[in-house]
Amino acid sequence: MSEPRFRLSPEIVHETVDGEVIAIDLASGSYYSLAGSGPAVWELLGGGASEAEIGAALASRFEADGETIAAAVSVLLGQLQESNLVVSDEQPGEAAPVAGGSGEKIPFEAPRLERYTDMKDYFLLDPIHEVDTAGWPRPAA
Amino acid sequence: MRAAPPDIASEYFEQLRGRYEQAAAATGGAGTLDLEMAGLRLGLRYAGEPLREALLAPFDHLACREAGDPDLMISLFDTASTGVAPPPPPWEPIAAEPGANPVVRLRSERACVLAAAGSRALTAALPAEGVAVFHLPDAAAIPASERAAPIREALQLLMAARGRLMIHAGAVGSGGRGVLLVGRGGSGKSTLALSCALAGMEIVADDYVLLDPASLAVHAMQSTAKLTEDSVARLGIPTGAIDAAGFEPTFEGPAKALVDVRGLAPGCLSRRLEIRAVVAPAVSLPQTTYNGVESRLGEAEPVFRAISAAQGLRAVAPSTIIQSGFGGEGSLAALADLVRRVPSYALELSPDPVANAAAVDRLVGELG
Repeated sequence: MSEPRFRLSPEIVHETVDGEVIAIDLASGSYYSLAGSGPAVWELLGGGASEAEIGAALASRFEADGETIAAAVSVLLGQLQESNLVVSDEQPGEAAPVAGGSGEKIPFEAPRLERYTDMKDYFLLDPIHEVDTAGWPRPAA
Repeated sequence: MRAAPPDIASEYFEQLRGRYEQAAAATGGAGTLDLEMAGLRLGLRYAGEPLREALLAPFDHLACREAGDPDLMISLFDTASTGVAPPPPPWEPIAAEPGANPVVRLRSERACVLAAAGSRALTAALPAEGVAVFHLPDAAAIPASERAAPIREALQLLMAARGRLMIHAGAVGSGGRGVLLVGRGGSGKSTLALSCALAGMEIVADDYVLLDPASLAVHAMQSTAKLTEDSVARLGIPTGAIDAAGFEPTFEGPAKALVDVRGLAPGCLSRRLEIRAVVAPAVSLPQTTYNGVESRLGEAEPVFRAISAAQGLRAVAPSTIIQSGFGGEGSLAALADLVRRVPSYALELSPDPVANAAAVDRLVGELG
């Protein structure tokens, strides 16, 4: 069995500004900030990557031992999956080219994911129902 | 090979446009209001005066008297004054709990249909073709959400197709340059925007503007602003300036009333401002005691604090995108570009609206 690959959920929109990812979940109305080494992981997830590939890429860019990085990546992937920001699949895929660190390594900061739910009430009051082919409105989520 | 599925969104648009034509004929021909909005010519055609009076007066300040073909056209009708109902929907209607406004959306590559179950506003548009139709059951009973931001969905769809993005923000300034006031409902945007207008500054809007991402200019839509009872009292707004409908419940929180900036601060309404900074107002809680010393409301000075571009983006993007009801990919990228190009600040507000307006005016002057 191949290792699961992770990629960003199609339900989100996101931008990276000032080394911080802002991601908005269009299905729930929650939004997120990802900082520390999180944006480096996020960039890799954009093309789809396995946990091992992410760990290896980070180890080549940051000053930290492999175990510390692997543990941090594992925690973050769990949080991202729980928040529906990433999806995983078991399908064997083309390994995405993982950019290694070409320059000097930089100090490692654990990824920091923060969730904001202050728009949620508004979102729940004003949900969108998509019309499907049978004419039934279904929640957009 | 399978046949392409029918485009029921386009079909519904065409049916609704046909009903509009019937409604216009039933009222002896459509009225037209020609506007210049965000550098585009926008024609508003309406079947029957009741709809025009109730919904379109806040656009009068953008009236354009020169002849010319419109770039965008929105046609409006209601059933009560024309006797013409919209076509039966191809979707199963949904119920709305009191205070909620769920939206049924039907989309295709060409067309978008939005039916709000709470306000019962119906919008169908062909964005790339620059045309939309808007329907309400009764022009004499306009829902509060439509009074505050008339034909918002239609404008959003048509303007987005022309590269103007509707942003959930206010904008005030001086000399054609200004700041974007951002934050979710209740953060103090409207009160601060009106404080600035009452102090003689230029105001584009308190709640929604159209952003041209290339020039970072924002453009005006309606001339009305929405205030809570507390804000009306703090700004000393005379009762006569408040819309006759009074304070109406809003979907997002406390009751608000409409005020028309044209009457309240004559000459301050601006069509366009170039944005030099993003400002997120925050109402700081009145501190009653600090180290045993009483601090009275009214003593605190407004304070600007530089915040990161990411914090600025967090203050403006979620409510813009979540309220938009559409993907929002383009809006988020444009807003990210905005906060990269101009500084962002948090503004801890003073209880004194005059002091807050003076602080914003100073910032605009310093940013040049």
